[in-house]
Amino acid sequence: MLQYLLKRILIFIPTLLVISLLAFGLSKIAPGDPVELKLRGFGPDQQNLANAERIYRETADFLGLNKPVFYVGLTSAAYPDTLYNILRRDHRENLSKLIAQYGNWKPISDYYQQLLKMNYTLQEVSARQESNTFRSVRSSLQQLFLSHADVRITSLLEEAETQALQDSSLQAALLGPIRELRSSYETIKTEARPDLLYLPDLKWYGLDNQYHNWLTGFLQLDFGISYYDSRPVADKMKDALFWTVLINGIAILLAYMLSIPLGVFSAIWKGSVFDRASTIVLFILYSLPSFWIGTMLLVFFTTPEYGMDWFPSIGLGNLPPEASFWSRFWETASHLGLPVFCLAYGALAFISRQMRGGMLNVIRQDYIRTAWAKGLSSRAVIWKHAFRNSLFPIITMFANIFPAVFAGSVAIEVIFNIPGMGKLTIDAINQRDWPVVYTVLMLSAILTMAGILIADVLYAWADPRVSYSRNKR
Amino acid sequence: MLIGVKKEKDTAEGIARRQAMGQSYRAIVRRQFRKNRMAVWSLRLLYLLLFIALTADFIANERPLYCKIDGETHFPIFKQYAVSLGLSSWEARFFQKGWREHDYDKVIWAPIPYSATTIDRRNNNYKAPGSEQDVDSARFRHWLGTDQLGRDVAAGMISGTRIAMLVGVVSMSIAALIGIFFGALAGYFGDDRFQASRIGLVLNILGILASIFYGFTARAYAFSEGTFSVELLKSLGITVAIMALMNLLARALKRIPSLGKPVTLPLDIMVMRLIEVISSIPGLLLVLSIVAVIEHSSIFSVMAIIGLIRWTGIARFIRAELLRIRSLEYIEAAQALGFSEWRIIFRHAIPNALTPVLITIAFGVASAILLEAFLSFLSVGVPPEQVTWGSLLRLARSQASAWWLAVFPGFAIFITVTIFNLLGEGLTDALDPRLRN
Repeated sequence: MLQYLLKRILIFIPTLLVISLLAFGLSKIAPGDPVELKLRGFGPDQQNLANAERIYRETADFLGLNKPVFYVGLTSAAYPDTLYNILRRDHRENLSKLIAQYGNWKPISDYYQQLLKMNYTLQEVSARQESNTFRSVRSSLQQLFLSHADVRITSLLEEAETQALQDSSLQAALLGPIRELRSSYETIKTEARPDLLYLPDLKWYGLDNQYHNWLTGFLQLDFGISYYDSRPVADKMKDALFWTVLINGIAILLAYMLSIPLGVFSAIWKGSVFDRASTIVLFILYSLPSFWIGTMLLVFFTTPEYGMDWFPSIGLGNLPPEASFWSRFWETASHLGLPVFCLAYGALAFISRQMRGGMLNVIRQDYIRTAWAKGLSSRAVIWKHAFRNSLFPIITMFANIFPAVFAGSVAIEVIFNIPGMGKLTIDAINQRDWPVVYTVLMLSAILTMAGILIADVLYAWADPRVSYSRNKR
Repeated sequence: MLIGVKKEKDTAEGIARRQAMGQSYRAIVRRQFRKNRMAVWSLRLLYLLLFIALTADFIANERPLYCKIDGETHFPIFKQYAVSLGLSSWEARFFQKGWREHDYDKVIWAPIPYSATTIDRRNNNYKAPGSEQDVDSARFRHWLGTDQLGRDVAAGMISGTRIAMLVGVVSMSIAALIGIFFGALAGYFGDDRFQASRIGLVLNILGILASIFYGFTARAYAFSEGTFSVELLKSLGITVAIMALMNLLARALKRIPSLGKPVTLPLDIMVMRLIEVISSIPGLLLVLSIVAVIEHSSIFSVMAIIGLIRWTGIARFIRAELLRIRSLEYIEAAQALGFSEWRIIFRHAIPNALTPVLITIAFGVASAILLEAFLSFLSVGVPPEQVTWGSLLRLARSQASAWWLAVFPGFAIFITVTIFNLLGEGLTDALDPRLRN
């Protein structure tokens, strides 16, 4: 048994690695710049470039985004292995598009340095002069940071030059740098090395990379910091987990309490009116999408103003005075009624169908016939002999309950605006708050696997015929 | 006399043959299925839904089916297909005015004279089905009401039917293709039967790495500039070419004894591990995060992702079936005849394993439709202008007084999901040998 357990836990490792790679890969493909997301609101002022760059670099350092992405990288030989040092994602992507066209990093890097220098020159000029001509020159030059097509770059450079020529003061300050920029762009084209693009190159970045840092942090239960509001992910999840566990706990408890007798009796009285009616009703309940029922309940049983935004989501930790506690309790209860119902009815239908099936299988067995023949009371036969042995499907369902509670019912929490795990996850996905998404994905995968493992162990414990140690698996 | 006897024998044989045919596995399943009234009705309803999905353009369309203007006859709905294929273009007059504003000599409108995206400004801001509507005649009433912009809910329901059916069919086809392939590999070859030469293995691994590089990494720029589907096809072409080259090379080099030494690959364990990994990923969360990441995602990317994640059930079924089938005599006979392994798998083994897979596919379609509806309900991934059942249901959340936006689309989702669940149950019962007779 112990060997079996160890073997199963060892299988966790590759699974978790795959999931972590998936989540991490997704976050890197996802559009948007986390640093920009973090800086939103108090973004650096455009007037002071040095300051803006410093803030950007510090934020990137803080988020750990100044490191290479992964241990290894398979790119073509044209790409430098230090491209990750260019912190701004849009610049980096634009540069790699230039490399993909011309294949020569050296002149491209020179061109980029020229562009950065040009940006400082522009800032100096803007301190002295703010004419319309200057503004249009500046805008065409700044668009160069995000342009990679030859036609576009050439036309932008030409435009800047002709406009700078119109103004004598601009001509003195900017014409030289613009011409330099043009010549360095021409160098890129003349010294193109497209052959390098077809030469594969495996780069090794070492252990100090973003993935490694995140994963080791995760294993030490340090889930990182939210990109969105800079709170530790663990804190955010703790708050959300309370509500999710609360509503799911009540719902599952209710569902089990109702569905076990329902399933047992409809199996015993198979073919009776009760059985047929309950089977049909349960089947309908099972097929009713919970997000529809939730919406319907919201539309019909609440006012349009109904919502839980004003509801204290901090939890019940800070104990209010006695009266206030009860009023708060009733308020909570009245607000949780509908979501708990929505979560419970689906589980109810599912569990009682399983229970009925399990019971039906058992009732057919010979030993039940023997029990009846011995003249045992129906109570003893049903609850002592049949019921115990029909619990297996219920046990296996435990596997589904863990992840369900954890990920929460996304639909219900979104509809009823409950700040639980489901809503947290959806919000995190929409806000591209990747540390939260990673953590939720990883933890729910762990819980899914743990649930399956626990179900298997319980199965063996409940049924001595199931043995994992001798079974070759 | 003799002739007569022979004839009699013939007919007796014929009857026996027909009886034997009547007892064929599929026939038994079909007969067993027909006994289940609910399942049969579900099948009929499914045909109806498929019919609506196929003819959606003719049921709800702002263009007339047929019209006559100034002596010219037009069939605008048919023409719409030609125009979207680039074979034809609209006459100037149809650009200048809306479809309803022309002076037709004769006109036949579609049963619902609105498209899902038609905005009826006179009836915007949530007109209820029974309420007073600003329409020319009862022919143009919005029988199921309108939404805030004035879009017809009935037309939206029709377009939603098409989307739902499309999601079910496309995503489950993708899932079935992947699932059948992997399941067949695992089930037929098991852990002991798949043998490859050393050089073949090495070259195939090299080939995969090379196709990743030349097909995708080196072409990242082409992907970002060109049309995604065209570039994907090109990349797949490169992949196929590289793999074919590597395998040809392997075939040639296999002759050298030290390189041609066979290696056994435990395919069953490999595939089962893969399935285990994929099924312990929380599916909904993964789909949500993938869909949210894709820029310009369309309904088709949603379908593809659902298909890529939901194939494990199908693979498990096929594997179990093929583990049984592979030791049957007719497979041995086929092997003895010298048929290639792939021919045996695809021509002989898989066709006999497909019937039970229908169960997983039926349930899979139900869950795919539900998932897509949920995604559009959350407005994740599906473009905002696309009208689906889920997106209609979402509108109900912002306007609680518009009950018709909550009731009709939700009911449609419910009915469709129920149909597929009932079909799945019916198939399960029909395939269960214990319930026969």
